[in-house]
Amino acid sequence: MTSEDHAASAVVAQKIERRWAAISILIVVFLTAMAAVAGIHQATMPQARVEIIDPEKIHLSGEFVETNLGSAIEPDGSVTVRAVGQQYSFTPQCILVPVDTKVTFRATSADVVHGLLIQQTNVNTMLVPGYVSEQVARFSRVGDHLMPCQEFCSVGHEGMWAMVKVIDRNEFMSLAASKRRVSCVE
Amino acid sequence: MNPERLLSLTNRWFSTSVGLTLVIFLSSAICGFLLLPYADADSRFSGIWDAICNAAGFPVKSSATDIIQPEFKISGATLGLAELTSPSPQSIGRGATLAQQCAICHGPEGVSRADAPNLAGQYAQVIYKQLHDFRSGARTNATMGPFAAHMNDRDMIDLAAYYAYLPRIPSSRDSAEVPLIVASGAPTRGIAPCGSCHGTIERKIGSPWLNGQPAAYIEAQLRYFASGARRNDTNQQMRNIARALTDDEIKAVASYYAGTQ
Repeated sequence: MTSEDHAASAVVAQKIERRWAAISILIVVFLTAMAAVAGIHQATMPQARVEIIDPEKIHLSGEFVETNLGSAIEPDGSVTVRAVGQQYSFTPQCILVPVDTKVTFRATSADVVHGLLIQQTNVNTMLVPGYVSEQVARFSRVGDHLMPCQEFCSVGHEGMWAMVKVIDRNEFMSLAASKRRVSCVE
Repeated sequence: MNPERLLSLTNRWFSTSVGLTLVIFLSSAICGFLLLPYADADSRFSGIWDAICNAAGFPVKSSATDIIQPEFKISGATLGLAELTSPSPQSIGRGATLAQQCAICHGPEGVSRADAPNLAGQYAQVIYKQLHDFRSGARTNATMGPFAAHMNDRDMIDLAAYYAYLPRIPSSRDSAEVPLIVASGAPTRGIAPCGSCHGTIERKIGSPWLNGQPAAYIEAQLRYFASGARRNDTNQQMRNIARALTDDEIKAVASYYAGTQ
């Protein structure tokens, strides 16, 4: 092998290296941009405030007493849904919300860590005893969604889920006119 | 070696890098504590300090107004009492004396011959909670209400300690015949296995031990829970399950736990 051959192959190797470096930089830039776009446009933002509550007393007084659970209409026209997760069910078992309306989910746990996840949406949060989890959502289509517990909460975990029914706004308002807290539990 | 001093504002490299770091620090603080919290359309801050404290994660007490209070009594028994898990011999002895008035229905050794619940070996928290609820009116029963009305907390703790101390009825049941609803629940209808709370697989404080209870009693209670006639189950934990049970399942559960199946 002459020294000329060696120099020529070094040039080729350098070219190849530069190309691969460019490709990997492009991949890094693409992934970062993808994360940024998803993070800004589709993300579920972390809760704005940390709210604490005594998990041993949620059923006695305050917003999580059983008669206050379910969907309530706020003065600004939005809807607040309150729910409790416990071993091994959500209360209420069936949640009713109107379509195309701002819905604020407020939920907490009575015992261990549970998870609140509404299928086909990006509503997904943990229910930690001692804290109130809050998440805002807007449903664009009428339909039913499963709401399974997504944190293993002991042996009966698989039986713990609720239903979220998205219904027409007028229908919801007429139901809410007769009752102050709405749910679809029969 | 450069004779210029490194940590001096006259050193251009030093002042520029420190300046840049400060700019990055301040802009991230403004972004994180002010711009982003206020960019959230659902933010409801009462002021700039409120926004900063929330972004920094200082906890606030949950405070909601316009709460719909229940028109019925909610079970207010506290089950974390240490005396319920490790009772003194005096407590058990006093409970035994008090239990004489219960024997007519619940049996002298806590085993009933009248389709009243068998209390022998029942968890102390369960007996305490039910007595507490009978007294407060969270659970209503024509027979138990007047008995509980005259009890104080000491009596309830002692009775609970005594019955928890008595031996359970030995199970005579063949384990191969466990009905599906007891063994695995019905996850597709939101029903966890009975034993995941009631002690045979896992125990949830406040849930009773069911083995050996009279079938008529279990069936009646499940129907009360399903209809909402009984609602001293905290946060509807048992009503949620009982509503989903079919008639056949209620009967299967009752006869299984009674040991008659």
